[in-house]
Amino acid sequence: MLFYILRRVISAISVVIVTVVVSFMLFFVAPTDPAGVICGPRCTPERLNDITKSLNLDQPPVEQIVLYFKGIVVGRDYTSGGVTRHCDAPCLGYSYVLGVPVTDLLAKAVPVTLSIVIGGATIYLCFGVLIGTIAARVRGTTLDRVAVGSSLVIGSIPYFVVALIIALYATFLPKSQYVPFFSNPVSWAAGLLAAWLCLGLTNSASYTRYSRASMIEALGQDFTRTARSKGISERRVVYRHGLRAAMTPVITIFGVDVAYQLVNTIFTERIFQLPGLGLRILNAFNQYDLPVLMGGVIVGATVLVVMNLVVDILYTVLDPRVRLG
Amino acid sequence: MEPLIEEAALDRTGAPLDAMTAPTGSVKKVDTRHKSPTQIALARLRKDKLAMICLTIFLFFLAIAIFAPLLTKLEGQDTTTLHQDLLDEYGFPTIGATSDHWFGIEPRLGRDLFARFVYGARPSLIVAVSVTLITAFVGVVMGLLSGFIGGWVDRVISWIIDFVLSLPYLLFAIAVPAVILTLFSDDASTADTSEVTKARFVSLILVLSFFGWAPLARLIRGEVLSLREREFIAAAKVLGVPTRKVLFKELLPNLVAPIIISTSLALPTYIVAEAGLTFLGVGLVEPTPSWGLTIANATTYYRADPLYLWLPVLAISILVLALSLLGDSIRDAFDPRTRR
Repeated sequence: MLFYILRRVISAISVVIVTVVVSFMLFFVAPTDPAGVICGPRCTPERLNDITKSLNLDQPPVEQIVLYFKGIVVGRDYTSGGVTRHCDAPCLGYSYVLGVPVTDLLAKAVPVTLSIVIGGATIYLCFGVLIGTIAARVRGTTLDRVAVGSSLVIGSIPYFVVALIIALYATFLPKSQYVPFFSNPVSWAAGLLAAWLCLGLTNSASYTRYSRASMIEALGQDFTRTARSKGISERRVVYRHGLRAAMTPVITIFGVDVAYQLVNTIFTERIFQLPGLGLRILNAFNQYDLPVLMGGVIVGATVLVVMNLVVDILYTVLDPRVRLG
Repeated sequence: MEPLIEEAALDRTGAPLDAMTAPTGSVKKVDTRHKSPTQIALARLRKDKLAMICLTIFLFFLAIAIFAPLLTKLEGQDTTTLHQDLLDEYGFPTIGATSDHWFGIEPRLGRDLFARFVYGARPSLIVAVSVTLITAFVGVVMGLLSGFIGGWVDRVISWIIDFVLSLPYLLFAIAVPAVILTLFSDDASTADTSEVTKARFVSLILVLSFFGWAPLARLIRGEVLSLREREFIAAAKVLGVPTRKVLFKELLPNLVAPIIISTSLALPTYIVAEAGLTFLGVGLVEPTPSWGLTIANATTYYRADPLYLWLPVLAISILVLALSLLGDSIRDAFDPRTRR
């Protein structure tokens, strides 16, 4: 078990390191011109030279990557125009456009994204599993067909189209905005309600299908027959015995889904104008702000890898049938 | 060994998750005598009414895309002419749908909506089809090599697959166009529109292909791993059939079903990806007519000019819905084990 976890951790770390190297090569070794971009249209050669030096762009690529890694692990100093600024670890550089550390920018955006995903995930997990369980109980009836059919249709329509239509036409919902939870929990929830409903309802479609299929399988097992033969109520058979067994695979998919949504809420954030990680990265793209873009990619990849690792390890704990090889 | 990433990856591409899927319909009974498995599957598909309706819808949009020049000529308009004379002082069109402009004109710029609509079907389908072909080819080749050769080749390819699958694709889709533009022009800030258009087109196909081949490769690898231990492969090897022939003459025909299933399920996801990225502003750019672009532009006019927004919204929803349902039907036809 310990060996398995160790192996998974090492492979996760290797993926993160390669991601950093690949994105670094993509952004700084490719013939991009970061110094020219920062310098702007009215640029003097001295200033360009100064910026090039301050970003260490005059050094060979390998050295630049080493410096970047050093920044992430212990922090690094930037000297520009005679002024030295210390960037604390984990340092991902300075934003070209805003001139503040990328780490701060991203850290400010993370709570927004987390709020959106957690709220939405709660809705689709509860709603999807409930509908799926009901559909499994009444399997083959019109109600079941309607549930499966509508979940197929909702799941097939592009997410951004659904989100856009909800954002434009569901004007009865409170205005979409982000208020920090600790300053006012009520307006926090009210401002995110539209995004939550949108994320929750569209994703509950696939959860309806997962939990329906999983529930049907669980209700066909021997232990369900045993439970029924004991004479306990049908409600208890389904929601106590069946649901518990049926939930393991659904929870696994849920964990991975949440990880993907943490880095893929861009559509939700863009459409509902919530200043999360995705919107920050999108703005960085529009402003050609390479350090923020790159920092966003690295943070996103790390979140994905870590979440996958956690889910994998939890899965081996939850389901004793998984053999570690 | 590691079921989670695999499931997630399959789920992301819409490929079948064995017990977890709920196929759309029951498998149709067909006469199976004197028929190859593919012929049986096609016969099943032909009996599936829903699949045929969806196929018709897809062919309809395909025809729109192919005959776009003809259709606009029939209407007598094009995608770029600005009909400013038909706009009022606030930029709103003064005409609705007329015999000159079948779907009316755009607010602000006054371009013909019908022309932009029919031409807008093109980039979606071109991007989706080319990405599907590229990913199918790369995925199959990588999966075959990895599964069949084994050893360090397998280890390297498997690691690459895991690596690609653990990257955030949407973030890269945003990041890569910024870099690719610099390859097409010397100065990214002053690049002209034709350079930007070309760069975006290329980067869109590159990014989607880069992330699309991995799930298929993993699927094919798994299939090959179980197939290569079978007697007919051993027999071919004993007979001295060269490896290339074993791969493409013995193994590949047995992989037709998973390849067709996963590509037909992947096609609509690429249409969504193209439209979605274009909507975000990181895909195709003006003046290319694209549904994603029209939707993004139309959001500010959704009250004044609902047709402007709803045409591309409905078109893309119907097209993607039809293709997804068709993909489900194809899966049911080719793989009857997943029936409910």
